[in-house]
Amino acid sequence: MTDAPAEVAGRIVVDGRPIEFADGDSVAVAIVRTGEVPGHGGCLCLAGDCGNCLAEVDGVAYVRTCQVAARPGTVVVRHPAGGKPQLPVVDWRDLTLMPVGSKIAVRRTEADVAVIGGGSSGQSAVEAARSAGRDVLLLDARDGSEVVGIYPGPSIVARDPGGMLHVRADEIVVATGSVEIQPACPGSDLGGIVTAGAAERLEAAGVDLGRVVHVGRELLRFEGDAGRVSAVVTVGMDATETTTPCETAVVDLGRAPRDVLARMSRAEGVSAVGPAAEDQPLPAPPRDGVVCPCMGTTVDDLEAAWDQGYTDLELLKRASWAGLGPCQGGACLPHVRSWIAARTSGPPPAPFTARPAARQITLAEAAADVAIDAFRRTPLHDEHLTLGARMDRFGGWWRPWHYGDAVAEYWAVREGVSVGDVSTLGKLVVSGPDVVEALERIYPCHVADIKPGRSRYALLLNERGHVMDDGMILRDAETRFTLTFTSGGAANAEMWLRDWIQTWGLRVHVMDRTMSLAAINVTGPLVKTLLARLGLEDAPRFLGHIRAEIAGVPCHVMRLSFTGETAFELHHPLDGSVALWRALMDAGRDLGVRPHGLQALFGLRLEKGHVIVGMDTELDTTPRRLGMDWAVRMEKPAFIGRASLERTAKLDDSRRWVGFSMDGEAPTEGSPIRSVENGEIIGNVTGSWTSPLLRKALMLGWQRRTPFADRVEIDGREAVVTPTPFYDPEGHRARA
Amino acid sequence: MVSEHIASLQPIAWHEPRDSYDVVIIGGGGHGLSTAYYLATRHGITNVAVVEVDYIASGNTGRNTTIIRSNYAIPEAIRFYDHSRQLYAGLEAETGAAIFHRVKGHVWIAHTEMGMRTERGRVLMNQAMGVDTELLGPADVKRLVPQVDLTGAGRYAVLGASHHVPAATARHDRVAWAFASGASSRGVHLIQHRPVTGLLRDGDRVVGVETAAGPIRAGVVLSAVGGWVSQVAAMARIRLPVRTHPLHAFVTNDFEQGLDKIVASTELACYVSQTERGQMLIGAEFDSQPSFSRLSSFDALRSYAYKISALLPFLRSMRILRTWAGLCDISADFSPIMGETGVDGFLITTGWGTWGFKAIPAGGEAMAELIATGRTPGLIAPFGLDRFRHDLAMADQASAGTR
Repeated sequence: MTDAPAEVAGRIVVDGRPIEFADGDSVAVAIVRTGEVPGHGGCLCLAGDCGNCLAEVDGVAYVRTCQVAARPGTVVVRHPAGGKPQLPVVDWRDLTLMPVGSKIAVRRTEADVAVIGGGSSGQSAVEAARSAGRDVLLLDARDGSEVVGIYPGPSIVARDPGGMLHVRADEIVVATGSVEIQPACPGSDLGGIVTAGAAERLEAAGVDLGRVVHVGRELLRFEGDAGRVSAVVTVGMDATETTTPCETAVVDLGRAPRDVLARMSRAEGVSAVGPAAEDQPLPAPPRDGVVCPCMGTTVDDLEAAWDQGYTDLELLKRASWAGLGPCQGGACLPHVRSWIAARTSGPPPAPFTARPAARQITLAEAAADVAIDAFRRTPLHDEHLTLGARMDRFGGWWRPWHYGDAVAEYWAVREGVSVGDVSTLGKLVVSGPDVVEALERIYPCHVADIKPGRSRYALLLNERGHVMDDGMILRDAETRFTLTFTSGGAANAEMWLRDWIQTWGLRVHVMDRTMSLAAINVTGPLVKTLLARLGLEDAPRFLGHIRAEIAGVPCHVMRLSFTGETAFELHHPLDGSVALWRALMDAGRDLGVRPHGLQALFGLRLEKGHVIVGMDTELDTTPRRLGMDWAVRMEKPAFIGRASLERTAKLDDSRRWVGFSMDGEAPTEGSPIRSVENGEIIGNVTGSWTSPLLRKALMLGWQRRTPFADRVEIDGREAVVTPTPFYDPEGHRARA
Repeated sequence: MVSEHIASLQPIAWHEPRDSYDVVIIGGGGHGLSTAYYLATRHGITNVAVVEVDYIASGNTGRNTTIIRSNYAIPEAIRFYDHSRQLYAGLEAETGAAIFHRVKGHVWIAHTEMGMRTERGRVLMNQAMGVDTELLGPADVKRLVPQVDLTGAGRYAVLGASHHVPAATARHDRVAWAFASGASSRGVHLIQHRPVTGLLRDGDRVVGVETAAGPIRAGVVLSAVGGWVSQVAAMARIRLPVRTHPLHAFVTNDFEQGLDKIVASTELACYVSQTERGQMLIGAEFDSQPSFSRLSSFDALRSYAYKISALLPFLRSMRILRTWAGLCDISADFSPIMGETGVDGFLITTGWGTWGFKAIPAGGEAMAELIATGRTPGLIAPFGLDRFRHDLAMADQASAGTR
């Protein structure tokens, strides 16, 4: 029955051997034309339902070859007989690795009604919807539209020859029709067995099937020779067996609903119609042989699992593996249900659920067109790169970790002047007649007494009284404030404010300026000299803020200090950022100005004992545990978290974040802190820095055991609890 | 191959339900079944029923990504999970059941300085607790996981990782069935497809459960319910600091073994291991939006597919066999809640979120001890519900799931 195509359309390569195909051939049909089988036996349906024609096609394993058109040069590799494919191997020279999935197109479309399946029930659904004036999209597997799944929305994800198709529809009609029931009997895993539908397709393609035997429910078993069917054994009404030799067995055992999608989708707006939704008579219970061709589960296997107590369809499926393969039970489910009905002498159990993917896609196809994880860049990104910064992602932004020498950056701040890019800070402008009331309720500190032109450090608490974020409250005018937040906490803080303000119904506008304002922190004992050169004559005093033009760039100048030295934050429009940065670097050249990265900043703040929310804090960090009760005004009648703080203030003071110091190099952040008495782990280090100035190891960290210790063991050395700030405890330098 | 697999199944015994038991456990998942098993084997308490709304292990036990590890960051969690890991390692020997336990090692990759800070701290804390976890540089990562793209597709460069050497995987169904078999063969009743609709009370005390098929009286009721725990707790008039969030996962088809390690990334919020069948089993972070929907989400799939293949590009050409979702009971501090509830006769094991599978043996063992002796074992004492009242969270978010 080997049969060269009458008109050769091209060649594909199967297991390294070229074979010819005719126009219109699928890969599976082209292989069957040569007298072979695309997989390793089992009845072929050639309709995309079974898993018996799976092979690797063009580097993708588990492809239904009946659903892939043969094209010149298509490379097919059969899966190993009785084994599994090897994991794919990446060609590391392949530049399409970046970005993932870039070559696969994604199209998005909408329709009033999407109909899956173009058979008679599908056509009826299409006509009904069209005559109702509705916009209809038809997805037909025979046109290459393979539906992966139906998702809430409802929506459909499909693959078609153009790539991936995402469909949003008001209504989805599953009209997938029915499948031909696969044989489940001894020999049903032989080659040369096809369904009646497949036989029709092969005959229409001009494939010579040799000596054909048609068989229906009288089928008893197949006999084979060298892996191919050689005869069909049937049983008559009188129980006599008849053996009919053949080269191809054509099986017609009736049909079952093609209901993988119908069993998957309980989403609103999804319905199934036609044979896909209709109960069909189940096949006779299988008595022997392979039931699940995908996994190789036999009737004996079902029996063995059932005997061990796995007597529920879902348990039986998981215990026997029937239905766990690529066809999602399409082939075995009618047989397994029939078998259980016979075994229990009861009704068949309801079908098990189906889950995507109904038709499989690769991870690359799933990931096609993903545009996520946009790491934000400040306007100074290229300046940092030019200055040799090692950039790191922090709080959703690219930020300079260091510029080659964190210690030199540290000294520039402590002894000269330095610039740092703090554009990433959260920046909200809030205004309106109720703004003071809103902020008084949101923050645990006083707000009303902040005068215009002044500012105050504030913690942001949640209802449990735990620290969520921190930043500055700067009063611009009677009813207008600028608020700053941490880089990583800004988005959450904005939601938090808007949510509460809306809940309270207060008249407050919130404008998020995080992305529209850049900010440069200029800090160090020489900072005023530098800023004076660029036009800042009357620098505001500590915690003051003014509007001023610096190097021609309009700035909101905020006097505060995270580094412990005199510092000004210059908030300014994005388009002036590079000019301002360069002006600072140029004008400060003789002052030794240099930029500092996060690494130096973390050391600088550590010497001051400043908390970094998220790095030092936990989910249950109260102001008391941070030693920051001064930032909370319990005399205020109401603010978020107040009730919880009132309650937890009465509990034992059981956790405390404190400073430690010891000689030598700083230990690794995260190091356990142990009791000097018994070695028990009592906490951990959240910040650690070898202070170039103080010449010792400084740490911040948690003590979680009471009574709190004065001496602890860190990194095998003894460290002493040390009051913070470690550096300039009176804060003279920040105020200078 | 299937028949070999089936030959290693342990029998599950089914009994005609009674209307009264010493102990009724709501929820036939891993924790409910292991508690029943340890009640029977360690304490000789077998007048026990496990009442399951669907089939056993139909919830999160049968939906999870089967990773067993103890590389947490706080001593209380490390101690608890490492005990569980050790129980797992001995479970096949103890029960005779094949659970396909395989020690693989867990490589937790960091892509940023902050990520490395977390992994360094994890390594030091693990080592201090006697748990075998080591710090890796990029070259070490490549040596252990040759398939990794150290550039992270040009976006997520690998700076290093922690390697938790004894981390393992086990087949989730088999774990549940091992406990179901061991418990039921000793007389524990497993009652499937029986929704609990209420609790029976005698004054303030809970004395049983109301079910769709009638009441069942009990000396003690334990809720070992997953995603729907807040509803069950509400029956006992308890408000839990737990929210339910869906978690999505997916598997590829079967391939020959080739990915030796469990690979995870906090920043990419996903992780992968190869199952004993050869599938790539890929999980991710739970949805940020609370929900009780177990429908798969394509948005979740495409995001995870993108991220995991940025790290392991060989996955790109692999086809996805199946996707699914589970409902995670996420506690306020990302740690479990075990023990007394303040309501007499009603105990709870919950807050298992995305991290409950690894805790099945130790969680069940401890809950069984509490039920049998009336005393909370020291191992789980830090994880009591009252910790929230005392503001003593067991916060270890960086170890819980992926974040």
